[in-house]
Formats: sequence, C-alpha cells, structure tokens
Amino acid sequence: MTSDGGSGAAAIRVEGVSHRYLPARGKPVLALDHVSLEVREREFLALLGPSGCGKSTLLYLIGGFLPIGEGLIEVGGKRVSEPGPDRGIVFQHFALFPWKTVRENVTYGLAKQGLPRDEQTRRAQEFIDLVKLSGFEDAYPAQLSGGMKQRAALARTLAIDPAILLMDEPFGALDAQTRILMQEELLSIWQRRRKTVVFVTHDVQEAVYLAERVAVMSARPGRIKEIVDTRFSVSGPALFKSPEFVERVDHVWNLVRGEAIAAQGGAA
Amino acid sequence: MARVAARVSDWFGAALWGVIQSGSIIVVLIGWELLARSGLFTAFLLPTLSSVLARVVEDAVSGLLFLDLSVTLYRAVLGFAIAAAAGVALGILIARIPSIHWLFDPIVSIGFPMPKVAFLPVFMLWFGVYDLSKVSMIVFNAIFPVIAATVAGTQGVDKHMIWSARSLGAKERDILREIILPAALPQILTGLQVALPTALIVAIVTEIIMGGDGLGASMIRASRYADSPGVFAGIVEIAAAGWLVIKSVEAIRRRLLVWHQETQAVSTV
Amino acid sequence: MTATLWRYTPLLLIFVIWEAGTQTGIISKWALPTFSAVVAAWLSLMQGGELLYHAAASLMRGFAGLGLAIIVGTTLGVLMAWVKPVRLIFNPIVQLFYPMPKSALIPIMILWLGLGHASKIVLIFLGCMLPVTISAFNGARGVEPVLIWSARSLGATRGQVLREIILPAAMPEILAGIRTALALSFVLLVSSELVIAREGLGYLIGWLGDGGVYASMFAVVLTVAGLGFVADRLYLMLMKRSLAWRE
Repeated sequence: MTSDGGSGAAAIRVEGVSHRYLPARGKPVLALDHVSLEVREREFLALLGPSGCGKSTLLYLIGGFLPIGEGLIEVGGKRVSEPGPDRGIVFQHFALFPWKTVRENVTYGLAKQGLPRDEQTRRAQEFIDLVKLSGFEDAYPAQLSGGMKQRAALARTLAIDPAILLMDEPFGALDAQTRILMQEELLSIWQRRRKTVVFVTHDVQEAVYLAERVAVMSARPGRIKEIVDTRFSVSGPALFKSPEFVERVDHVWNLVRGEAIAAQGGAA
Repeated sequence: MARVAARVSDWFGAALWGVIQSGSIIVVLIGWELLARSGLFTAFLLPTLSSVLARVVEDAVSGLLFLDLSVTLYRAVLGFAIAAAAGVALGILIARIPSIHWLFDPIVSIGFPMPKVAFLPVFMLWFGVYDLSKVSMIVFNAIFPVIAATVAGTQGVDKHMIWSARSLGAKERDILREIILPAALPQILTGLQVALPTALIVAIVTEIIMGGDGLGASMIRASRYADSPGVFAGIVEIAAAGWLVIKSVEAIRRRLLVWHQETQAVSTV
Repeated sequence: MTATLWRYTPLLLIFVIWEAGTQTGIISKWALPTFSAVVAAWLSLMQGGELLYHAAASLMRGFAGLGLAIIVGTTLGVLMAWVKPVRLIFNPIVQLFYPMPKSALIPIMILWLGLGHASKIVLIFLGCMLPVTISAFNGARGVEPVLIWSARSLGATRGQVLREIILPAAMPEILAGIRTALALSFVLLVSSELVIAREGLGYLIGWLGDGGVYASMFAVVLTVAGLGFVADRLYLMLMKRSLAWRE
C-alpha cells in the first residue's frame, strides 16, 4: 500500500471513519470501514472506485451532510459537524434550484454572506462569465442543456469562494463530448483559482487526467486501497497519448478492475 | 444513499413510533371527554365521548347502525360502480375515437370542475327523493374524475410500447386489452380513488338534504330533534365508514399494481 | 377562432336541443323550463340584485374558509414533513380524519355555530384543510436532499432552508392540492347552504325550488356551476404562471 501523506499541510483529515446505513429491508450495511485519508492544501484529489464502494458517502461525510457515526473528520483543523460555506459541493444531477434563474441561483449563496446587492450581482456575473454562461443569466434550469446546468451549478459553488470544492461525479450525467469540454474547463479554472478539490468518479481516465493523486477505493465495505500519484510532465490534451499517462491509467485500471468484479459478483 | 440519515434516525424512533402514533389520538379523545365533563360547554353543544360511544353501541345493538350503514354504502358503492364502469368506457372512447372526443371533450372539461351538487334540487325535481335520485346524483358527481383520468392515462401510454406489441404480433383488439388498459391502470385507479370519496361525500349530502334512511339522514334527523349525542354518533359512524372504504381501496390498489414502482418504493411514514 | 368555436359546438348543441325540445313540448316544461325562460329569469335576478347579494355572501364564505385552509394546511403540512415532533403529533390525527366524508360535519357546524357565515366558513376551512395539508406534506417530504444540501453548503440556516428551498420545491404539489380544495370548497359551500342558511346561492336555489319558480332555480344552478368552472380556470392560469420555471 502506497501511503504518501505528510508533505504539505492537510486541508482535510479523515481518521478511522466507518459508516453504516439501513436499507429499506434488512440489516444495516457497512458502507465505509475505518477509512483514513489526508487531502493536502490546494491539491486535486480523485476518489475512484466501483459503484457502491461508498466514495460518495465519504464525500457527503466530509460535506457534513451525513452524521459521522464512528471516526473523525477535520477540515482546516476543525471537526466537521454540519455543512458550511467553506466546503462547496457540486452534485452529479446539478441540484440547481429549478424555480430560480441562473443568476438567482448564483446569487443565492452570496446573499447568505450578507454582501450588498450590487456586489452580489457583480460577483454573480463574474462567475457566470467564468463558466461561459453569459447570455443565459435569466434562463431557468429547465431551459438549459445538461452541460449548461452543470456550469451553472459550478458557478454557484465557486462564487462563494469555498476553500474546498467537493465534486460528486459532476460530469457523470453528461454526454461524452460535453464531458471532455467540462474537464478541460474545470482544469483551467482550477489552475487559475487553486482550491482543494475532492473529485468523486468511477471513470479511471478522468481521475488520472484531472487529479494530482488518485485514491482507489475497494468494493464494499469501502476502504482506501491505494493512493497513486498522477502528476505528469506533459499537460493538456497531448497528455492522453503520452506513454507515462497510458501506463498510469493501466495501473489504476488494474487496481479498480479487481474491485469492480468483486462488487459485481456480490462477493460481500 | 441520500436518505441514509433519515433512515437511521427513523430506525431509532421506530420503537417509540407505535406508542406515540396512537398517543396523540388518545390525547384528543381524553381531551374531549374532560372538556365535555368540565362544564364549560352544555351537553347539548358537546356531549361526552362516553355518551356518544354508548349511542354508537346502542345503534349497533339495535341493528339501526347496520341498516343505515348498509343503505349508505349500497348507494355510494352502486353509484361509484356505475360511474367507474361508464367512466372508464367513455374515457377510452374519448381518447381513441376523434368524433367522440369532439362531442364529449368540452362537456367533460366544463363538467369536471363544476360544483355538481348545485344540481341536487334539479335531480329532486326530475327523479324524486328516493334511491334513483340519490344514486344518479352520485354517478353524476363521481363520473367526471374517472373519465378525465382514463382519457389522460390512455393518451399517455408510451407509443413505443404499442409499437413493440404490434411488432410482436398483437392485433388492435389485443392492444387495447393487453397493453393500453394495464399501462393506463395506475392513472385510472387514481381517478377511481378520487371518485370513491366523492361518492361517499355526495351520498351523505343527498341523505342529509333529501332525508329518508341512511347515515346522513339519521344524523340530520337527530340534529332536528336537538339530539346532540345522536349527531356526534352519526359523525363517528360516518367517519368509520369512510375510513373502512378508503383503506380497502388502498389495499386493492396495492394488490393490482404489484408491478408498479410505487408499490416497490419504501414508505417511511 | 373557428377552431375554438368548432371545439365548443357540442355545448351550443346542448342549449339548442334544450330550447327546441322544450319549445316543441317533447320535453315537459314542468320538468325543464325553456332555455330562453331561464335566461330571462337570470336577467331579472341580476336586475333585482338578489343574485349579486347571494353570490357575494357565498363567495365571501368560500374565500374566507379556503384562505384559512390554505394558510394553516400548508404550514402544518410542511412542518409535519420536516419537524419530527410535529409529524408525530399531527400525522395520526390527519390520517384518521382524512377519509371522513366532510359533508358529515354540516349538522355539527350548524349545532355549534348556527345558520350564519361562521358555520359555513369553519366547515369549508376544516374540509379543505386536510387535502392541502396532505399535499404539502407529500410535496415537502419529496424534496430532493441534494437541493437542501446545496442550500446548506451555500450558507443557509435550517429555517431558511424550510422557507427558501422546501416550500418552493413543494409548491407544485401544494398548488395541486389547493385545486382539489377549491373544488371541495364549492361542494361544501353549496351543500351546507342547501341544508340550511339565510342567504347564499345554495339557499337561493333551495328557496326558489321550494317555491316552484323553476326557471329562476335553473338560472341560479347554472350560475353556481359557471362560477365553479370560472374559479377553476382562473386558478389554473395563476398556477401555470407561478410554475413557469418548470417549462
């Protein structure tokens, strides 16, 4: 097991966290089993694993949305007990407020910070421009395509300037082309405004491409199986064809494949 | 995954749940009895719960309750059954045949939201004050939600499903019975679930206004004789009848729709 | 224009058949006054002011009862969905009373509150509150957790989430419940006024019917039916506008 915490301050510290949930019928299921993980300040970390491995659950626990039954999660040295604007989140299905326009969605969090009206509008516009949604400020979410909805959700979260960005398979509901464009854009935004990012995905290539480190999780009950360094000398689209990228994807894929088969076969 | 928190907390509350669930009803009933005995209200305005229950038991023993209940349920269920059969048939015809659609669509769209009880004196004029008048009033009120739901359900059937059946060799006649009806069933049942309480409400109203026999008529008679335990006993009996009918319909719906996802879904409350 | 006319031709046909049938004597005038006689009766009721007077009384009762039912029902339903003690206390009571045919309350309301406005307003309030409560409860319970989580992580407090997220997200179901309640309010209003009242459209129908003035009675019956229909259509327009975001 490769463990390389230590260098750089920890933005998020997960220690010995277990999580059980009660399904509709039957006994409690152990979703996470003594998971420990450190996310460094301003790093891009991907949580990768087969479906049902508890990677989203871990993200929700960091977000403070679920009660932490066993173990400890610290963000910025403080124990997590409830959601807060220091941890922005982007969901797979966008979670835009459908009765608010794009602008009203983006302004929502800014209003909660008590900013004056014109400052809210100015900042909202800045982030709407950043995600290239200019011209759609007054559209309702129902009028937007999937990719545009996800841009709006991203703008809403980025606008409140959270230190940490939690992303729950944010591009999972998009078609392949939109997905590639959004990955590019996320990277370019991240390079301009460095934040700590925890990015949940089941797509090996996406994880290796976007993240600096990939934490591979095992099938249920979820544990951290291995953390793989995925920083490369090449960057941009050329990376996809570089031998070191292909080799690293292959390595991670082999780690995940065994777990995916275990999950499919109902080995639990 | 999203409801994990709710589930865990529900799990802890589950033990207390049963006790507390009936708890608030018991509190209300005890409150009624105490309030009635406190002397704040006269026995005429608020008879004690015990005297009302005694009256219900008395009605049950004398057979009057059984008689009234069966008459009221007979009218409500008969009216509902006619409305259901005619409403589903008419709904399918409206949805499938353009000329029938032309003829009935404006009538249904105006008749559905219209307060049809206003026609009660007209029905009395035409059909008298006995069963014919009461049952036809019930049919008139209960048929509109059935027609509307059937039309919407039939028109909403996924055309790919019909195409699949056709390419699998189904004939037009089979498609109606084997594909359209089952696919529209959830919505039709929803329409029927609106129609049944309507039938009961109207059955009680017709009995209150036209008199005769039945739970509503006995109740309004008690009210005329200033027999307030009788009025309250009537409410208890009518509420029990309503509860019985609606719970049995919910049970039937679950049986008919085992394949539907709503039945598979976990109910938390 | 022609399309609309063609669409509503069957309704015109009904009135034409009505007039022709009664004029020729195929339908007994005793059972059904001629359509033209009904129209004439309606005009004279309007001129005499009776129709407006009774309609005003009825509409006031309906609005008051329904308005109270909407405010109390929505509040109770949303709180039941998201505040556990409220749910524990009120859910059994709501479940117990929901299936009760609401018209059974008419004699008790008369017993308690007499023949005037109060008995009708309270009847409509009690009868319409439960459908609104249940739709608000179901709507609020069905709100996607991610919407609530998003709002919380954007800095909203629990109270703000209830008002700014759960209430608007539940609005489609609440508005549908109110539509049911609107129809029910007319039923309860008219039937309670038919049973016993001193004014109101239901009272007027009963009074004219007892007096054998059938043309006038039909005129009022059709007025009530028309009012119910118009109220529903107006409400539907309002509902569509406030749910424009759903596209």
